[in-house]
Amino acid sequence: MKHFSFYGRKRTLTLSTGFHILVATSIIGCGKAVDHPQSTSKDFKVALVTTGSVSDQGWNAGAYRGLLRIRDSLGAHISNVQTQTPAEIDENFRQYGSQGYNLVFGHGFEYQDPAIRVAPSFPKTAFVITSGANTAPNVASVQFAFSDGAYLAGIVAGAVSHSGTIGTIGGTQLPPVVSAFRAFQAGARSVNPNVKVLSAYVGNWDDPSAAKEQALAQIARGADVIFQNADAAGLGVFQAARQSTGVRVIGSNSDQNAVAPEVTLGSVVIDLPRAMLMIARDVKDGTFTGHTYHLGDVEGVVLWRGNPTLSTEISPETQAKLASAKKALDAGQLKIPE
Amino acid sequence: MEAFLEGVVRTATPLALAALGETVTERSGIINIGLEGSIIAGALGSVVGAAHGGVWAGFVFGAVCGLAVAAIFALFAVVLRADQIITGTAVTLLALGGTGTLYRLIYGSAGAALNTPTLNPAAIPFLSKIPVVGLALFAQPSITYVLYALIPVVSWWMYRTHAGLALRSVGENPAAAIAAGVRGKRVQFTAVLFGGALGGVSGATLVLAQAGTFVEGMSAGRGFIAIAIVVLGRWNPLGTVLAALIFGAASALQFYFQAIGTNLPYQLFLAFPYVLTLIALAATHGRVSAPAALGRQDLELE
Repeated sequence: MKHFSFYGRKRTLTLSTGFHILVATSIIGCGKAVDHPQSTSKDFKVALVTTGSVSDQGWNAGAYRGLLRIRDSLGAHISNVQTQTPAEIDENFRQYGSQGYNLVFGHGFEYQDPAIRVAPSFPKTAFVITSGANTAPNVASVQFAFSDGAYLAGIVAGAVSHSGTIGTIGGTQLPPVVSAFRAFQAGARSVNPNVKVLSAYVGNWDDPSAAKEQALAQIARGADVIFQNADAAGLGVFQAARQSTGVRVIGSNSDQNAVAPEVTLGSVVIDLPRAMLMIARDVKDGTFTGHTYHLGDVEGVVLWRGNPTLSTEISPETQAKLASAKKALDAGQLKIPE
Repeated sequence: MEAFLEGVVRTATPLALAALGETVTERSGIINIGLEGSIIAGALGSVVGAAHGGVWAGFVFGAVCGLAVAAIFALFAVVLRADQIITGTAVTLLALGGTGTLYRLIYGSAGAALNTPTLNPAAIPFLSKIPVVGLALFAQPSITYVLYALIPVVSWWMYRTHAGLALRSVGENPAAAIAAGVRGKRVQFTAVLFGGALGGVSGATLVLAQAGTFVEGMSAGRGFIAIAIVVLGRWNPLGTVLAALIFGAASALQFYFQAIGTNLPYQLFLAFPYVLTLIALAATHGRVSAPAALGRQDLELE
């Protein structure tokens, strides 16, 4: 989930961003959207606003892939902007609203309140917040049951750990991150009631060097499986594991199994493209209403995806436990602590 | 304990490199707030360099990129005598944005992830066997040893050579220095470039000796921390490196506290290094004397 870096100067970015725009936005200090030249249709316009870089191989990268899929599947005209400071969110939304965009995704918890404020001025635009619960006539929220996947990841971590100590490393303490870590802990306790869970936060989402130090500190305390949810900074956790012996990592949000296949047990994946396309279809078909979408394991949006390279490290018994927990989740029989 | 001390030196290394360069820059009377920009440019440059010529090519290209960013600053702040703070801020913003854009142009929105070659720790025989501090000081990536070598070299140059005297005199009393035949602008320009190059090496260290990847904005404020460290180290090369170690210790303590698990809010620990810096700055206030001409833009230097 995401996040502003603590001194947050970030860049608007699309593939067509010119250097002059970059300079202009640096000095003016506000995000300026650049339309994608590949767009094919002017009728259906979809925008994505993120707080972090879409090259983070995680939360934001997944949303960008979702935007591209909407373009490819629905022929939408797409645009993407990166918010630099929280104060700019309203302005980002207004820009897209006034340009007549049909659908604007605010990708993260931070976008909830600005959407509620701005939405009444642009009744023809659907605002969708991808992590939240606020709704209005033209504002929908998505609640990803990320905890479903985090619980399953916890089962794997609890079973694979030899030391009986596992760790979680987050960017900042956002509510969705905290509840994911709680679910992870519950999953681990379900297979090893005595497992010790260490927890640390980097304090931002883009300092991999600091995240690596957090991971090394946990490893020095005996942690041998670490669940990272720190976006781009989280890459440092993989690097720490690669330089230590017998340490395994579980990735978040996107399928991160390819980032460091030799140390990654699996990833808790949010299939953002699938979810975003689903919502975009609703908007295009005119069936969109301002409500909360609950998307999780049973909808095929949140998944545990094991890394085939290390599949032998997860025993058949653990695989069986995973399968039965998944079944219980889908049937609504398993309640995960919030 | 040893893991903690190793963390101290690892965290301090990039800070010390950047702060050492900024010390030289500030002794010439220029405060380069654009240091953060040199660090992030060095980080991106190191990924590109390392991809084409290995780790050391990465460090060299990182230094070149840091120097290039500093050259932009020097053009405005030294040659055209623009306001140093405003120029430095603009340069930092330009570099943070520019590196993000270039990174995506070069590697696409998927990024390069962890495919950059990295420096592994190289233990020095005998020295690394010293109890307690041996591993922390002498089982580090070799860029840390480059830093060790730079400290006496920069000190000797600054205090024992004519060029070093010229640098200090321009920072203290430019009129007298120029009357004595020192070419003020040239001295300041070179000092800014040196600081930028070391800033670039600092950024390269983050990538090639630590994270193993470039991430947009990964400099994460280290340039500004390095500027505070220069003050804490009293504009003296050795003092600067010691101040960087203090900051490194505060950060490593923060990692350690989080890892042992306490019920205190983690934000307290994250703030710890900064609070310590503030206290240290306050405690040394009055006994510290900055170069007299530091930050002055109204000087006639030639």
